[in-house]
Amino acid sequence: MSDMTITAVLDTSGKCCPMPMVETNRAIKGLAVGDVLHIIATDVGTRKDIPSWCERTGQTLLSMTEQDGVINYHVRKDR
Amino acid sequence: MKSMAIVIRDDSYDKILTPLAFAYLTASEGTQVDMLFVNWAVKALTAEGAAALRIDGRHAAEEAKVREGVAKAGLPVEVYDIIKALKSTGCVNFYACSLAAAIFGVNEGNLIPEAEGIVGAAWFLNDKAAKAEHCQYF
Repeated sequence: MSDMTITAVLDTSGKCCPMPMVETNRAIKGLAVGDVLHIIATDVGTRKDIPSWCERTGQTLLSMTEQDGVINYHVRKDR
Repeated sequence: MKSMAIVIRDDSYDKILTPLAFAYLTASEGTQVDMLFVNWAVKALTAEGAAALRIDGRHAAEEAKVREGVAKAGLPVEVYDIIKALKSTGCVNFYACSLAAAIFGVNEGNLIPEAEGIVGAAWFLNDKAAKAEHCQYF
């Protein structure tokens, strides 16, 4: 975590499926390979959606943490 | 997934949300989505029909609460606005079934510009549904 440089932040707090994934797809398209996207979500569906999306689309999930109903994901764009 | 075909029959506001959300979700990843609107749902491909969609039956009294939830989820509340959002992905095609169009009063004059046109079900089932990686019926 300490050597991670966050390039962009996407706050989807309060939003539910499909919007967190729609907005994540939109956000990642605007980044360069190697950039790190910090996604903030409150939709519990993203707990499975985002890791599987990373695997499917070839991105790397660097971290996933949850506290007080807020889930933070750090995703590195690899392709 | 490269392609998905969806056939929508139900036209109540709540029941049409799921196929539209699924289409939005997959199209945002670049999946090509082809949607055929049959039966009463064909009217959702007209501006008047989309605006007239309501929640039917035993859940009808909860429509305001559902619309509030849709807004909170981040989706456009009006079905026509959702259709426009899907179209803006560049990955979704909307088709009106010709039989449904003839029965339920949809023609090329009142079809929304976001729709590709009125098509025969044989064409859709063979050229879109059968060739898609995944097909869903609502």
